[in-house]
Amino acid sequence: MELAKNLQKTLNQKANPKTDLYVDLAESVTGIILVGFLWMHMLFVGTIYINNGVLFNSLSEGLDKYYLAQIGIPATVLVILIHIFMAGRRAPMRLRDLRIAWRLTKSLKHTDTWIWVGQVITALIIGIMASMHLWEIMTTWPIEATKSAHRVALDGIAFMGGFSIKYYLWFYVALLLAGEYHAGFGLYRIFVKWGWFERHKMGYVLKGITLIILFIGFGALYMFIRLAEMVPLGGALH
Amino acid sequence: MSRNITLSIFRYNPNIPGDTPRMQDYKLEEYSGMTLFVALNEIREKQDPTLMFDFVCRAAICGSCAMLINGRPGLACKTLTKNLPSRFTLMPLPVFKLIGDLSVDTGTWFRNLQVRTESWIHTNKKFDPNALEVRMSNETAEAIYEPERCIECGCCVATCITANIREDFIGATGINRVSRFLIDPRDERTDREYFEVVGNEDGAFGCVGLMACDDYCPMEVPLQKQLALVRRKMAAAGLKLDLKGMKIS
Amino acid sequence: MSAKHTHITDVVVVGAGLAAERSAIEAASAGLNVIILSLVPPRRSHSTAAQGGMQASLGNAAMAKGDNPQIHFEDTVKGSDWGCDQEVAKMFTETVPIMIRQLDYWGVPWNRVVAGKKKLPSGLEVEDTKDKEGLITARDFGGVAKWRCCYTSDGTGHTVQFVVDTVVCKMGITVHDRMEAISLIHDGETCLGVVARCLRTGDLNVYLAKSTVIATGGAGRLYAASTNAVINEGTGGAIALNTGLVPLGNMEAVQFHPTGMPPVWILMTEGARGDGGYLLDKNLHRFMPDYEPKKKELASRDVVSRRMIQHIRAGYGVESKYAPQHLWLDIRHLGRKWVWTNLREIATIAMNFNGLDPAKDLVPVLPTQHYTMGGIRTNKHGFAYGLKGLFAIGEAACWDLHGFNRLGGNSLAETVTAGYLVGIQLAKYTLGATQKFDYKLVEGFVKKEEERIKNLISGKNGKENVWEIRAAAQNAMMDHVHIFRTGKSLQEGVAKLQELYKRSLKIGLRSSGQGANPELAQALRMPGMIRTSLCIAYGALMRTESRGSHFREDFPKRDDVNWLKRTLAYWKEGADLPTLDYEPVACPYMPPGDRGYGEATAPAKGK
Repeated sequence: MELAKNLQKTLNQKANPKTDLYVDLAESVTGIILVGFLWMHMLFVGTIYINNGVLFNSLSEGLDKYYLAQIGIPATVLVILIHIFMAGRRAPMRLRDLRIAWRLTKSLKHTDTWIWVGQVITALIIGIMASMHLWEIMTTWPIEATKSAHRVALDGIAFMGGFSIKYYLWFYVALLLAGEYHAGFGLYRIFVKWGWFERHKMGYVLKGITLIILFIGFGALYMFIRLAEMVPLGGALH
Repeated sequence: MSRNITLSIFRYNPNIPGDTPRMQDYKLEEYSGMTLFVALNEIREKQDPTLMFDFVCRAAICGSCAMLINGRPGLACKTLTKNLPSRFTLMPLPVFKLIGDLSVDTGTWFRNLQVRTESWIHTNKKFDPNALEVRMSNETAEAIYEPERCIECGCCVATCITANIREDFIGATGINRVSRFLIDPRDERTDREYFEVVGNEDGAFGCVGLMACDDYCPMEVPLQKQLALVRRKMAAAGLKLDLKGMKIS
Repeated sequence: MSAKHTHITDVVVVGAGLAAERSAIEAASAGLNVIILSLVPPRRSHSTAAQGGMQASLGNAAMAKGDNPQIHFEDTVKGSDWGCDQEVAKMFTETVPIMIRQLDYWGVPWNRVVAGKKKLPSGLEVEDTKDKEGLITARDFGGVAKWRCCYTSDGTGHTVQFVVDTVVCKMGITVHDRMEAISLIHDGETCLGVVARCLRTGDLNVYLAKSTVIATGGAGRLYAASTNAVINEGTGGAIALNTGLVPLGNMEAVQFHPTGMPPVWILMTEGARGDGGYLLDKNLHRFMPDYEPKKKELASRDVVSRRMIQHIRAGYGVESKYAPQHLWLDIRHLGRKWVWTNLREIATIAMNFNGLDPAKDLVPVLPTQHYTMGGIRTNKHGFAYGLKGLFAIGEAACWDLHGFNRLGGNSLAETVTAGYLVGIQLAKYTLGATQKFDYKLVEGFVKKEEERIKNLISGKNGKENVWEIRAAAQNAMMDHVHIFRTGKSLQEGVAKLQELYKRSLKIGLRSSGQGANPELAQALRMPGMIRTSLCIAYGALMRTESRGSHFREDFPKRDDVNWLKRTLAYWKEGADLPTLDYEPVACPYMPPGDRGYGEATAPAKGK
């Protein structure tokens, strides 16, 4: 048994010994790119504050005009896939590992470890919801402020007493929270691992940035709802 | 002032046929300044002479008595019972092989680690008994002492999810140990040689960055700093080196 | 049931502390097969707890200028109160600088000389010169003429043990940890190895070797309050004593360290006073200069400890929650940075156990049992008296570097130096020795141990409780064989210990004794521990003089006419007291004289 394991290890050395380094680097680099993407994305969405969405629309047109969408979306998807493979390989997969990780996390009551459990969970949430989001955007291309506004404001299933859930709104609230959580703490963890900043101080800075982005995100959702009330679907912005 | 405390202790002796893992309660009257060292010895001497646990220095210097105290790793000798609730649990450290009750075999684990990471000074110089020592700045000496302070208690390994699920991972203590040689000018190993030792998933690149090691190290060794140092150095070495020559022949 | 495993090797080393590992390195370098047995993994040995440093006359620091082995030798002899073996002290002081440099070559991060002027806490200004910058520096310690104590912050023992262990790892020397030697195998002339009990499984193992080395450290746990680790129960000395052939030398010479911290009795390093710390009484008065105008807090340990107790007896002790009577250690004036870098380990200990920050708080201290100068008597090459092929080194031995009082920083230095010097002799002997053993004889020793275990489990000899006996024996040592001794009290102590010894032969377990049972381990050690205690108490009773740490209130003067000799204690089969013998102590280089500190130099005067 021990011998067989050693043989496997020896054979492994034949492969490029730098693989582990590249894999680790790839995880960090794709992580940073995705955080950058997400924050830029939210800033773009945030332009809905300005001019009732005129700037928002012209940015969207710009994406088309300069083929940024045609290149950017597949590239982002690729980066996401790489990130999933690189980061996911370290999450506990086997049932035995899951059990160990869960038991230890509960026992330790250690903040950073709980945060990481949150990251694993938000990763799963993002994986599903971001795909749905992407599908929605692609099938209703191009992006327009009123289209987005009405999607967010769309009434969902009605419940007893006329109470209804705007499920798209809640979908985006969930995605926004999950995305920001994963990105903020993901960036924190990258910095921790490479040691560029003091851990605790850096935590505060990143939490601050995350709060700002969340503020922008929630604000944008509010703006969409207001916009949907002001402008009918297909109506012109002014 | 004095209160009654209940210690719920993990019991299992693999060397006794038919024994099964269980938690057992022991009641004690607490007194001022009581540490877990005092409490456990009192239990052994007055209530249950079979209870197994390890203490050596009882001064937080030797690293023998690490255990999960109410779920968190720590050195039992320096843990005051007054800082714990009136009922708490004691469990052996995970990852390490259980000897019995609270006693685990850290010795073998760490011995393997030393050999695997070749944790000794590598030099081609011969010792000359008639020569003066090689000069070194006091700052360098103190920088080496910082990671060298690790007492190999195993707390960092026990709290690390990666070390818990991947038995080949050398843990914060292993990476920290390598960092001590990495910054020592007396060690003549090249970047390539270090890369062979820790430039992989079992070493520097295996850490996920949960930092329980950094938060629970009883010696307050700056583990985050040392881990990151090794990661950066190994990344730089890996990107710089042409490692084609490392293929097995 | 017979022995589970039998191991045959060239050298078996009992203990894995610094002395043990250093000698193992020497033996292995000569091409010999070595197995190290230890109660605990090597890096948990009590050597790691040595905080202060290692004495070596490198002469690099400003206050070390002009130092040389001769001055170190003189300090050591004075410290020992002329009780040491001067030839050993000579060899030792000449070799120890090389040892320091070899440790440096192996990787110890010794603190270095930083050039520049600095003001010491005493107000003295010194200058470290440029030409010494980067060389190994030193700090002040008790009873020395020059600053000579090489250190790495206050984790010297830790770094030295870890580095020596890296060499053991590198050489691939076999270590069997959690393996306790419980008896020596011998044929009346030659030691053939040991019977050992595995502390993982409880199985008995036999180790047969051409040479057996005992390096099990001190016997501090014979006292209720000791700075020693809980594993320091003097078991190595006890198994040698049990042969009836090997004597323990000078067991009455027990060192009490001035600064153990109540109520846990953990050591506050002498480095605290070496770096400029004071001792204060209940009026926060610095009292040591009143007694010792020259050396103040830095007289030798025996003297400082006695002065402290004397001062407490005079009514100046502090009453507090830490202890009924104690004094204060004050290092606040050294500054926060100094305290938390160079004295960090003790600062952490004070914080952990008493919630005190020595940078702003006073730390309670009281003299506490610390070191066993006595041990298995050997010649200057480390050969034990009485059995061929048996060696002893370090605190477990009476190589007799320390005589009746050891200087701070000489113990760590002794471990490595003796390990090296004795290691050479050991290798030479082993290479020339032939291995022979009579299987019947070996089997007999195993049977004897099996029998003991069986009887303890079945309670055949009685039902005495091992923990009660241990506590009673430890308290007897505290009450009767402490810093100040009198004939009457010692007599009572000996009687109590004799009584306890008889009871220790009737111990019966309360548990099943299955596996690596801790009660059984303690019960197996107990009679040997009390025998050792009796060697201390009885030796002290018979020595009617005061020398070094052995202080008789009824015989307060050193008596070189009658007592310039070493006690040798044997334990004959069936006895309940040791048989004492004496050998002369030669003084070929330095005739007995004035120490320059202590009662003989500066008579007690109080305030």
